[in-house]
Amino acid sequence: MLEARALMVFYENMLALNNVSIACGEDQIVGVFGANSAGKSTLMYTLSGIIEDIKKKEEMAGGERITVMGTLLYRGRDIMGLSPSRRAKAGIILCPERRRIFTESSVIENLRIGGYLASGSQARETLEYVFKIFPALARLKKRVGGFLSGGEQQMLAIGRSLMAQPRLLLLDEPLMGLSPLIQATLVRATREIRDERGISIIVTEQYARPVLPIVNHAFILENGSAVLEGTREDLMNNPDVRSAYFGV
Amino acid sequence: MEIFIYGFINSISLALIALGFALVYGISRIPNFAHGALYVVCGFITWSFVRSLELNYPLSIILAMISTGIIGGLIYLFILIRVRGMAISEIIASYAIGLAILEGLRWRGFKGMTYTLPTFKEGSLMLAGTPVDYHRLIVVGVGVCIVAFLWIFTHHTKVGLGLRAMAQDERAALMLGIDSDRMAVVAMGFGSMLAGLAAVLLLPLGNIVVEAGYNVLLLAIAVCIVGGLGSWVGAVMAAFLIGFAQILTVVYIGPHFQMVVALLAIILTLILRPSGLFGRQKELEERV
Repeated sequence: MLEARALMVFYENMLALNNVSIACGEDQIVGVFGANSAGKSTLMYTLSGIIEDIKKKEEMAGGERITVMGTLLYRGRDIMGLSPSRRAKAGIILCPERRRIFTESSVIENLRIGGYLASGSQARETLEYVFKIFPALARLKKRVGGFLSGGEQQMLAIGRSLMAQPRLLLLDEPLMGLSPLIQATLVRATREIRDERGISIIVTEQYARPVLPIVNHAFILENGSAVLEGTREDLMNNPDVRSAYFGV
Repeated sequence: MEIFIYGFINSISLALIALGFALVYGISRIPNFAHGALYVVCGFITWSFVRSLELNYPLSIILAMISTGIIGGLIYLFILIRVRGMAISEIIASYAIGLAILEGLRWRGFKGMTYTLPTFKEGSLMLAGTPVDYHRLIVVGVGVCIVAFLWIFTHHTKVGLGLRAMAQDERAALMLGIDSDRMAVVAMGFGSMLAGLAAVLLLPLGNIVVEAGYNVLLLAIAVCIVGGLGSWVGAVMAAFLIGFAQILTVVYIGPHFQMVVALLAIILTLILRPSGLFGRQKELEERV
């Protein structure tokens, strides 16, 4: 599905991603774990192409010089340098860190905006599906986005991303700051999305434990480099990983 | 009654003038200081079509509005896109374009009182004892329709929703596949068309003069600042506030003070409530 080889991202001279190679196969959930500033969000921006937009804006304003290097293959096609909207059209949708929902629009409007790339029938069908996996949203249809709780906002953000008809969904820290109960709901929904919609998912988290049960494969980022990778079992059995990311 | 009727007409005119500016700012965060110039340009294009090419009037109006929209889009595509995100450069660039257009027109000899457009319908009728000409009634009708149309457009069409998404969080919109540059071109073209629409509706009430460009820009900015920059609802509300204030000033103080109202409104708003009447967005950000 997606294969990134030797990704390097510089902000001026600061190395944000150092020689990171990750891959995500069809119908897989891949976890990327790492502490704050390990490069998780930069990785997500690089995969989704948002980095190209940041780069362009910085260039225009004469700010930081951002350099992106490496190969990025999506369904056999090189997508390095492609604009974020083109990548979104190809099916790579990022559900960003801190959710970034449209705070002045209602829940239903947020979802309809998410359906910008979808056809009418796709949008209707997906909307129903979103309300099925997140029944809470159906009850809050008319509520303005800014007045939702963190958990509701995260459901909305995931729902909104689904509306854009992803083939590869990038979830950037979906569980951050949420209660264990909501976390469990979201993790279950994530697995359902993969199973029922056939969407491949890459999910990042600081704390691996809640998502680990659903990932097929995982990578661990440290200071911008992928220091470790393996299947769920590999990571579980690694004593360093256990102490650092599972809190065991 | 007179005050009410003319206040209403004046308010709708102001709303028409300001909506284009509010739309462009709301979506691409570009303060389009060429707004007044586009207004005058549309007037002159219409005039040229009607008087020089002798096309029929409604057709010329439509063609002129489309051309103005295209001009606006091109201005964005070739000039403003390069300074996007740098507030001061955006103001300088768009104001320079506006100046170049207006003074260019003046230099080519478009000045004096000779340029007029015919009103849509001659004559007037009595409305509760006050004479109102048909043209002003048409202005009000179209103005109300445009406000309603904009509401429907931004709430129920894909492009409209995309525009609003961009206005709220450009990067989040990008993640959903909404092409921000294309949307900004659409917004700018659309905003320019609205400036053109205001021009073809309001210019027949007077002469087409270059100076109108500066006045229109000032009024548009006043309305948008009072209403809260980027808020369309706020712009309409502020148009009514300033519109009625202007008419009251004309009646009770004197017609010379009409322009002072707009400027005073800017100053008062900036002192009392810098984010404007409906600048909710900013307040929310500050609270969080």
